[in-house]
Amino acid sequence: MNEELDSQLSAMFDDQLPPGECELLARRLSRDEQLKARWGRYAVMGAVIRAERGVRLNAPLAGRVSAVLLAEPALGAQSLAVALPRRGLRWWQPVAAGALVAGVAAMSILWLRAEAPSVVSPLSAHLTTPAASGAPVIPASARERGGRADSYVVPPAPAVPAIVVPSTELANYVVAHSMFSSPVARRNLLSAFMTSEPAAAGAEEPPDDVKSAAQ
Amino acid sequence: MSADASDLSLVRRVQRGDKGAFDALVLKYQHKLVKLVMRYVRNPAEAEDIAQEAFIKAYRALPQFRGDSAFYTWLYRIAINTAKNAVVSRDRSPIEYNIDRHDNDESYEMQGRMKDSETPEGLVLTDEIRTTVNAAIDALPEDLRTAIVLRELEGLSYEEIAAAMDCPVGTVRSRIFRAREAIDRRLREVFEGGLGRAEELG
Repeated sequence: MNEELDSQLSAMFDDQLPPGECELLARRLSRDEQLKARWGRYAVMGAVIRAERGVRLNAPLAGRVSAVLLAEPALGAQSLAVALPRRGLRWWQPVAAGALVAGVAAMSILWLRAEAPSVVSPLSAHLTTPAASGAPVIPASARERGGRADSYVVPPAPAVPAIVVPSTELANYVVAHSMFSSPVARRNLLSAFMTSEPAAAGAEEPPDDVKSAAQ
Repeated sequence: MSADASDLSLVRRVQRGDKGAFDALVLKYQHKLVKLVMRYVRNPAEAEDIAQEAFIKAYRALPQFRGDSAFYTWLYRIAINTAKNAVVSRDRSPIEYNIDRHDNDESYEMQGRMKDSETPEGLVLTDEIRTTVNAAIDALPEDLRTAIVLRELEGLSYEEIAAAMDCPVGTVRSRIFRAREAIDRRLREVFEGGLGRAEELG
């Protein structure tokens, strides 16, 4: 047998081997029966030198313990088996996690709904459409971030410009086709445009108190 | 260098499921543990049974061993408690072994104990081991004998032995190893001869 290995074994038996070497030798010792037998004889020598009377040096104790432990599960597997029931006791954890996720999703939906009117309100959208301003539609929150509309938190505004028609264009359309419409309907429609125009024009910029609240 | 590094490395292996590492711990401490238990019980066979029980309890409790104390200190406490419990339960037990009884219901376990511990060949083999080791120690050069005796009898560390013998620690390690090798050569003959030789002697 390798003399250096035996020398290490002797030092390990005396707890005088560095931990790193102990790790390597322990692995070998647990598998190498010849090395284990030598280790056992080192113990016998110590017992004789200490004159341990009444102790049987050829005792089958180690063999008996080993035989009993053969029927025992290995500790690694045992600790895993112990861990599984403990995990079972925490059944509420996935439920709580699911509830948390659902809560966050609900909050997100509510927040988006709160944000949505300023973006797609039918009353004011016609004032901020690309056709009217020539600029792309950017949500208010994105405008606050400097016009970056590619946030994954705030989805881009839906493509509504095709549906919303600017009031001036509609008024021109109504006037141009006045010959085909009834006088009463034409008057009502035009008066409605006249009254809504100043309020809509003032809605381009949010009031100062709303701005300050938003900030 | 940790004083308990070797035991701890074996313990960690057992905790990861390596039963072979526990064999090494049993081999190392079985004699110490039996000697310890014999403070409580006189019968060597009973002491071995208690030591066996203590080892098995230790194995089962090993997942809870964190290494805050030395492994042997922990094992020592388990053995003491097991021995005390065994003595208490034996004292409470109404059954007493009577060697004059010849009833057929005599304990099979008792027979096993007699077979294990009291057989002439077993005793002869133990005596032969003692004789062999002592003769090998006597035959050792003075420096090797001093080193191994200081280590095994006095329990000194390599540093302490180096200071006592006025030599480097590496030399102490080498001397102790060479002493063990010399004794082991003689001892191996006895173990390999085993009971066959003992029976001849008996």
